[in-house]
Amino acid sequence: MFDVALSGAGAKVVLTTSSDENYPPENMLDGKAESFWISTGMFPQEFVISFAGMMNVSKIKLSCFHVRGLSIQRSVQKEPLDFEVIDERELTPSDASLQLEEFKFDETTARHMKFIIKSGFDHFVSVHKLNIDGTAVREAE
Amino acid sequence: MPVAMPVVLRAKCVVVGDSTVGKSALTQVFHSDGTHFPKAYSMTIGVELCVKSVNIPETSNSVELYIYDSAGKEMFSDHVQQMWDSPSLAVVVCDLANEKSLSSCVKWLERVKAKAGRDIHAVLVGNKTDLDTRRVVTAEMAQKAAAGMEVVYFECSAKERENVEAPFYFLANAFYKQYQEKVAMTESLCE
Repeated sequence: MFDVALSGAGAKVVLTTSSDENYPPENMLDGKAESFWISTGMFPQEFVISFAGMMNVSKIKLSCFHVRGLSIQRSVQKEPLDFEVIDERELTPSDASLQLEEFKFDETTARHMKFIIKSGFDHFVSVHKLNIDGTAVREAE
Repeated sequence: MPVAMPVVLRAKCVVVGDSTVGKSALTQVFHSDGTHFPKAYSMTIGVELCVKSVNIPETSNSVELYIYDSAGKEMFSDHVQQMWDSPSLAVVVCDLANEKSLSSCVKWLERVKAKAGRDIHAVLVGNKTDLDTRRVVTAEMAQKAAAGMEVVYFECSAKERENVEAPFYFLANAFYKQYQEKVAMTESLCE
């Protein structure tokens, strides 16, 4: 089991709906909670992560701030298409520290994952660290 | 050194107030840079959306205002409020020749705030300064109402294209400041 969402593991952010180059999306995949990506206004907001290959995902740990409604979706296609919802919930508010959320899955494969932030506890929300525990799926050539 | 990419913020700016105070006229004059004033009255049904970008002085950054020009007729009230999820900013408009439209402003602001679930930046706009002979709302009355609502007051004439930009520029700048404060706060949180 290792963190398949690290840039070092070949994961990439392929889409975000907000961009401030001082807080680039790569900050979510650098394994550090100090650096972050921040939304620049309005909801919903979303971002898509593409893995190095097909992964078997068992757990997602998310460090974020002021995120309220969150939907997590997966795609098993080569291109990030045909997403299906695998978890959807309202997060617990936190005003003086980051929100730390855990999502557990069994037998969930994914090549791409989409995170839709449907609402927030503030106008702007940030995502600090995305840790996805998983293993690479052996694929036929 | 490479030039930084400008930051574009997005704000949902809800325009509210009683019917016929000039919400659509204000929105359209602002949106068209003064080239279009709707001379004939056309009642807004539901919500009309206009997008207008405002540059933030002394930066290369801007705020894109998604202006939700909302029907003022009570008949559409439930319907329009469904479009106001997570508003960022509010423009509450009254007609300076109609005292009742001023007293309604508190109600309109409360409705938007209820949708926000938190304090949002808002302004009170007294429209139709051109109707000076029919004017019944004095600047003092409006100032007092604005103070009670804890918002800044602006006076304008959409018809004469006077002072129409000021309330929108004010809100865009307030939103930009809010973003900067949030970024600083988030940074201090993870030190």
